[in-house]
Amino acid sequence: MTSVSASTTQAPPILHLSSVVGSPLRDADGTRLGKVEDLIVRLGGIGYPPITGFLVNVAGRPSFLGADRVSEIGTDGIVMRKAKLDLRPFERRAEEVLLGRDLLDRQLINVEGARLVRANEIELALVAGSWRVVGVDTGPRGGLRRLLPKSLGAHIATGEFLDWAGVEPFVGHVPTVRLRVPHPKLAKLHPAQIADLVEAASRHEGEEIIQAVGEDDRELEADVFEELDDQHQREFLEDRPDAQVAEILSRMAPDDAADIVGELDEDRREPVLALLPVSHRIKVRALLGYDPAEAGGLMSPDFILLRGSSSAGDALDAVRASKIAPELLSSVFVSSAEGPLEGSVPVTALLRVNAACKLAEVVKHETPCLAPDASFEEVARLMADYNLTAIPVCDEHSRMLGVVTVDDVLEAMVPRGWRRRFGLLGED
Amino acid sequence: MAVRVPPVMRRIRSATRGRPRLPARLSPRRARVFAFLGLLGPGLIAANAGNDAGGIATYSSVGAKYGYELLWTMVLITISLGLVQMLAARMGVVTGKGLAELVREEYGIRWSVFATSAVLIANTGICISDFVGIGAALGLAGVPTQVSVPIAAVGIWLIIVRGSYRSAERIFIWFTIPFFAYPIAAVLAHPHWGAVGKSLVVPQLHTNSAFLVLLIATTGTTITPYMQLYLQSAVVERGVREDELPHEEREAVAGAVFANVVASFIIIATGATLFTHGIHNISSAADAARALNPFAGRYAEVLFGIGLLGASLLAAAILPIATSYVVSESLGYEKGIGRRREEAPVFVNIITAMIMLSAFVAIVPDVPVISLLVGVQVVNGFLLPINLFFIWRLSRSANIMGERRSRGILDGAAAITVAVTSTLSVALVVITIAGF
Repeated sequence: MTSVSASTTQAPPILHLSSVVGSPLRDADGTRLGKVEDLIVRLGGIGYPPITGFLVNVAGRPSFLGADRVSEIGTDGIVMRKAKLDLRPFERRAEEVLLGRDLLDRQLINVEGARLVRANEIELALVAGSWRVVGVDTGPRGGLRRLLPKSLGAHIATGEFLDWAGVEPFVGHVPTVRLRVPHPKLAKLHPAQIADLVEAASRHEGEEIIQAVGEDDRELEADVFEELDDQHQREFLEDRPDAQVAEILSRMAPDDAADIVGELDEDRREPVLALLPVSHRIKVRALLGYDPAEAGGLMSPDFILLRGSSSAGDALDAVRASKIAPELLSSVFVSSAEGPLEGSVPVTALLRVNAACKLAEVVKHETPCLAPDASFEEVARLMADYNLTAIPVCDEHSRMLGVVTVDDVLEAMVPRGWRRRFGLLGED
Repeated sequence: MAVRVPPVMRRIRSATRGRPRLPARLSPRRARVFAFLGLLGPGLIAANAGNDAGGIATYSSVGAKYGYELLWTMVLITISLGLVQMLAARMGVVTGKGLAELVREEYGIRWSVFATSAVLIANTGICISDFVGIGAALGLAGVPTQVSVPIAAVGIWLIIVRGSYRSAERIFIWFTIPFFAYPIAAVLAHPHWGAVGKSLVVPQLHTNSAFLVLLIATTGTTITPYMQLYLQSAVVERGVREDELPHEEREAVAGAVFANVVASFIIIATGATLFTHGIHNISSAADAARALNPFAGRYAEVLFGIGLLGASLLAAAILPIATSYVVSESLGYEKGIGRRREEAPVFVNIITAMIMLSAFVAIVPDVPVISLLVGVQVVNGFLLPINLFFIWRLSRSANIMGERRSRGILDGAAAITVAVTSTLSVALVVITIAGF
C-alpha cells in the first residue's frame, strides 16, 4: 500500500476538500461574493488530476467558475483573479466529475491493495503549478474532520492517505462520464484480483470494472470472466448480446468456455455456440455433453498426443510449436500405433533425456486414465495418489479425450470459507 | 498399457460443491421445491423479528386492554410494512448497496453517522429486551436466566460468526416455525370469530391518551427501522439479481403479511382470554403467557412460551447483524455474515460486543428493563421517520433507481406511509418524554 505522509518535508502542503467546500468565494479586494459548493476535476489524464473549475453559489445561483480565473485556493476560501464577475451556469463536460458530489463518500478501488475502500476525505495539493487531487483518505481522521464542526475539525491533522496513483474511482454514476474514463491502473492487477473486486462491488460498479477492463484488453476481460464465480458470470453475460458473449468465450480455454455456456439460459446456448470459431465450437460442444461435476466436465480437450515411435526431440518441438496454455502441457501423452493411450511423459523428463531417445522408452505406463463419467472425488483421489498435476481422460476404447489439470481440481476443492476473502456471493 | 480405472464410486453431489451446476438440469419437481424454499428468505426473517419480546408485550397489552378493537389497525400497519419492506428489498436488488451505504453516498457523512448512532443505541436496547425475552420464555420451563441467556448468546454468536450467510439464513427460518404457536393458542382460547371479523374491517377509536399511546406503540413495534436495514443489506449479501426482483419483492411483502397475521393472533388470543375475564393490565410478555393459563389451558401457556422463545432468538440474532451492517456500511468497513475476525474485524467485533453486552445486561438482576425499553422506544421513535424518509427519497430517485424508481400510486402510498408513521412516532416520543 503506498501511503504519503504529510510530515514528509518536501511534500507540498495538503489541502482537504472538506475545508474548501463551504468556504467563501472572494474577489481580489476580499469582498465576499458567494460560497464554494464543489470542486470540478478532470479525470482520464496521466498523473494527478487537475482541478479545472469550481461550482460556486453566488446570490443563490449555482454557477461555474474556471480554475484559470482563481488566484488562490485555501481554507479561507478561494479568491478570484479579476473583480469582474462573469459566471456561466454549470454544465458537465466529458471526463469531469464533481469531487464532493461524485467521489467523496463513495467507493473507490485501492489498486495496490486490490480492495474496495470508501473516500472519507479527498486531499489536494499544488503540484506542477496547479491544484490537483493527490490522494484519498480512507481512515478515521478524514471522517472525523468532516463530522466535527469546522472550527474543531480544522485541528485534525492530515492522516495517512492513499496516493491517487494507487486509486481508481468509480464514475458510472456520473452522468457525462459514464464509462468514458478508462481505468488503466486496473490492468496491473491479476485477473483473479479483478474478479474479486467485481464480486465485492455492487452490480453497476462491477459492470464498470469489467467494461473498463474489456475496453483496454479483451484477453484480460476473458481471463476475468474465467475467474468470476458462477453467479456473477451469469449476471454479467445476461445483458450482453450473443456476439459479445461469443467473443469473450472464444478467448477462453474450452473447458472454462463450456462452463460458462452451461450458465447461459438454454435458449441462448445454441445462438452463442453458432458464433464461436469452428474448432472452438466443436470442443465446447463436446464438453457440454458431460456433467460438470465429472471428469468429462472438468477436462480440457487441448493436449499433445504422440506415437511411441516419436523421439524426445520431436516431442519438445511439438511443445514449442503448440499454442496450448502452459498448465496443460506439463506432460505429453503417448499412444500406441493402434490409438489407445500408452501413458505420459513429463516435459521435465523429456529435457533430461537425449533428444534422439524414443518416447516408448521413457513413457510412464502406470499413468492412470479416467473415464469421462469418473466422479470428482475419484479425479482428486487419483491425482493425489499418483502425484499428478495432469491426468488423462479416455473413452471406452482407451482413446484420449482430454486432460484434467490440478488447477481445475484445486478450484473445486477449496473449502467454502477460503473463498470468503471478498464477498460471500460465490457460495450456494 | 495404460490402466483404465473403472468409475468405482458413484458421484456424491454434496461433496462436489463449487463446480457449476446447470439450472436446466433440475427436474421440474425439484425446481418447484426450490422455488418454494426460495420464498422463505430475508423478508420473512426481517419482518418476523418484529414479533419479539417487546412486540408480544405490546400486542398482549392491546388484546388485554381493548380486546379485538384495535385489529383494524393491524390491517393498515400490514400494508405500510409490506410497502416499506418491498422498497427496501427493491433498493437492495437494484443498487447492490445497503441502506446505510446509500445514505452515506447521497446525504453525506453527518447524516449517516447520526443515523448510525441512533441505530446503535436503539438496536442495543431492543437486543437487551430480546435476551430478557429468551430468559423469560425459558423461565416458564423452570430454566434459570443465568443458564439460558449465556447459552443462547453463545449459540447465536456461533451461527452468525462461524456459519455462512446461507446456513445462518436457513437456521433463522427455522426460528420462525414457533410463530405458528400463536394461531394455535388463539384457537385454543375460543375467541368470538364474528367479533374478530368485524373488528378487522370496522375502525374503532377512543379519545383517551392511553388508547393513543397503545395505538402508536403498536405501529412503532411493528414497523421498526432495523427491519428495513436488515432486509436491504441481506438482499445485497444474497446477491439477488435484477430478474429475480419480482420474487424478492413478493417475499418481502409475504414476510410482512405473515408477521402481522401472527401479531393479530396474539391480540386475538389475549383478547379472548384476558380481556373477556376482566384482566386489562399485564406488565410483560411472560405475564401474558402465564395469564393465559387458567382460561386457555396449560397448552396455551406452553405455546405462548415457545413462540416467545423463537421470536426472541430470531430478533436477538437479527439485531446485532443489522446494527453491524449499518456501522460497517456507513464507515466503509468490510462486512458479511460468516466472515472471520481477521477478514472483517469491525463487523465481527460489533456483533460480538452487542451480543455480550445485551446478554450481560439481561442476566444482571434488578436491571430496570421497563425504563430501558421506554428509552429505546424514544430513540426508535426518532429513528423511524428519518429511516422511512430516506427510503422514500432514495427509492424515487431516478439517479439511483433508474427505471425501477417508485412512481405514481406506489410513490404516493410510500409518502403517505412516511407521513403517517412519522407523525405517530413523533407523537410517541412526545408522549413518552412528557410522561402522559
